[in-house]
Amino acid sequence: MTEVLPRVRRRKRQDWAGYVFLLPWFGGLIFMIVPFVASLYLAFTDYDLLTPPRWAGLANFREMLGDATLHQSLKVTFVYTLVSVPLSLAVALGVAMVLDRGVRGLAIYRSVYYLPSLLGGSVAIVMLWRYLFGYDGIVNDLLATIGITGPAWTTDPDYALSTLILLHVWTFGAPMVIFLAGLRQIPAMYYEAAQMDGASKWRQFRSITLPLLSPIIFFNLVQALIASFQTFTQSYVISNGSGGPAGSTLFYNLYLYQKGFAEFDMGYASSMAWLLLMIIAGFTAINFLAARYWVFYDN
Amino acid sequence: MNAPHDGPRLDRRRLLGLAGLTGLAATLPACGRGFGGGGGDDGKIELNMVWWGDAQRAELTAKALDLFQKANPGIKVSTEYQDSSPYKDKLAARFAAGNPPDLMAMRFDSLREYADRGTLLDLSQHAGLDQSALTDSARALGQVGARSFGVPSGLNTIGYIVDKTLTDKYGVSIPDGDTWGWDDLAAFAKQVTKASGGKVYGTNFEPWTVANLLVFARQRGEDFFTPDGRLGATEATVTAWYQLVADLRKAGGIPPAGFIDQNNGASPAQSYLAKKAIASQIIPTNGLLGFNQACGGNLQLLRIPGETRGPRRGQSVDTPALWSIAAGSKHPAETVKLLNFLINDTEAAKAAGVTRGVPANRTIAEAIGSGLEPDNRRSTEFLNKLQNEKLPASYPYPVGASKLTNILKTISTEAEFGRMSPTEAGNQFITEARKAIAP
Repeated sequence: MTEVLPRVRRRKRQDWAGYVFLLPWFGGLIFMIVPFVASLYLAFTDYDLLTPPRWAGLANFREMLGDATLHQSLKVTFVYTLVSVPLSLAVALGVAMVLDRGVRGLAIYRSVYYLPSLLGGSVAIVMLWRYLFGYDGIVNDLLATIGITGPAWTTDPDYALSTLILLHVWTFGAPMVIFLAGLRQIPAMYYEAAQMDGASKWRQFRSITLPLLSPIIFFNLVQALIASFQTFTQSYVISNGSGGPAGSTLFYNLYLYQKGFAEFDMGYASSMAWLLLMIIAGFTAINFLAARYWVFYDN
Repeated sequence: MNAPHDGPRLDRRRLLGLAGLTGLAATLPACGRGFGGGGGDDGKIELNMVWWGDAQRAELTAKALDLFQKANPGIKVSTEYQDSSPYKDKLAARFAAGNPPDLMAMRFDSLREYADRGTLLDLSQHAGLDQSALTDSARALGQVGARSFGVPSGLNTIGYIVDKTLTDKYGVSIPDGDTWGWDDLAAFAKQVTKASGGKVYGTNFEPWTVANLLVFARQRGEDFFTPDGRLGATEATVTAWYQLVADLRKAGGIPPAGFIDQNNGASPAQSYLAKKAIASQIIPTNGLLGFNQACGGNLQLLRIPGETRGPRRGQSVDTPALWSIAAGSKHPAETVKLLNFLINDTEAAKAAGVTRGVPANRTIAEAIGSGLEPDNRRSTEFLNKLQNEKLPASYPYPVGASKLTNILKTISTEAEFGRMSPTEAGNQFITEARKAIAP
């Protein structure tokens, strides 16, 4: 208890510096608050972009209940999130652990693996991806050499979403770098002690690595989940904005965009944006509640 | 290596803060940025003109605008262009932001979305615009009732192109392009696929493109959209359309399911025809030059099959884009002057060529005809011949019609992979299309 007081005082002294560094963010916030409030208002209107919005009460939200396309877009987004988030985090952790063993040229590997996560959402990479996975693209050419007839990766509604999940997993670099930093923070003495007690590698992973890394896993999970719900570019480019083939890559955000800008229904699009905000907030809240039971803070 | 307790640690409070901030920032809507317009800094009136297209079209457009600015030293025209799909979205956003361009290229299927909402200038009220040299059907493309909200920037239609180098190679003769029917197309396509050993598919036309289905419906005696803005196509017609496609696919005349990427893009160089994966396809006729360059220079231009077989003609004279003026333009008189120049000035038409199709002004179309490249002359003659025939008129699509693009795409994919029978596809399309167009 006696230690607490000076600690708090020290933190206070440091606080103002933090706020100064945050100033640009607060400046930017003003430009966000206005559209934020505007979209809340528009969510309750009938607004076609070209004529002034008319108050519609809850009509947009009622319409959502019976909108089969909206339900399809929710399904696509949830499937994508539930599959790609755990998968990409697992790959990121796996690669980080391999690199953490002290590979020669670590800096190079780290950069190479990190690169896709910088480029993955970019138009050029998605175009390239479309080319690789085309009906007679390089992937199917390679499969053909070992006697497998590959599917139409991007044009078959049964495969198109999996191709996008693959693209997402490929961009595991960002969480990997964070995992790597986290692994470096785990004191080597824990492993040494465990080894002396004869713990297997798996046992060490479960009892040392996972608990000590759990705050990092949690951070990556929250980040990945939020980002995943907001996926847009990949399907916009692959399907040229249509969400095709047959609605199989119609992400929630893409449908929102279609509604707002292609179908002149910005009121509905705004209410969709708020539903998404609530969904993300809900998932994030569940995440934080669940975290009490599995995230271990070493302080 | 650092001792663990000296390094930065993540505790619950910081994590909460971090995750909260990034989450909040990411869910907020992004601000759009408008772009310029208004008065110039040198006392000139500045008009903003936007359109879609490529660099080649930009160069030709700039030439025509130079002539206008030379003749009107008090007016400066700033232009912006981009691809058609982002163009469409940006245009809507600019209107929403209260910063519409003065003169804009308007999609034929979007005209009424804008016009019916009072955002476009009624051109019939402006004496400065002379549309007298246009045919009635060309003028009708931009008319809603007695009012006029757009002038065709050029005229085109759709045509069937066949790569004669390929058909010669495989010894298949091309049917007569004026009188062939859909069954001739099927027989021809099957023959090409067979003769090439499956290396080249006989044809591919986009069943998911509204303009194609529209011609098919008219050949069967139906208006796809009625003049009063309803859906006129029947379920039987849409079913027949998908049956036609299914039969073609079964016979091998068109590629198997999944081969064609609906979103491959419209550029000739990327087309399956240029890659020699197919031997024929439908194009907008103003694209003939580009396709012929990309495909090796031996393309034949045919009419759409079935023109002489059904109860009436299906093809019509259309426009790749209309020119419209914003009702909120600060300089309507000057913008009308610019539009009139683009439509009725022979030198401007010569400079711009036929990148947007054949000039709607018939006198000018004849005047520039002889100076064109052979391919452009061919597509121009193809269109002029049609203009002299009695064809059904095209009307601006009703409000909501732009939704049909995605509906037809989705249903075409379902049918392509056999997840819907032609009957189900026909039924589904009519149901969804009615809902989309309902007032």
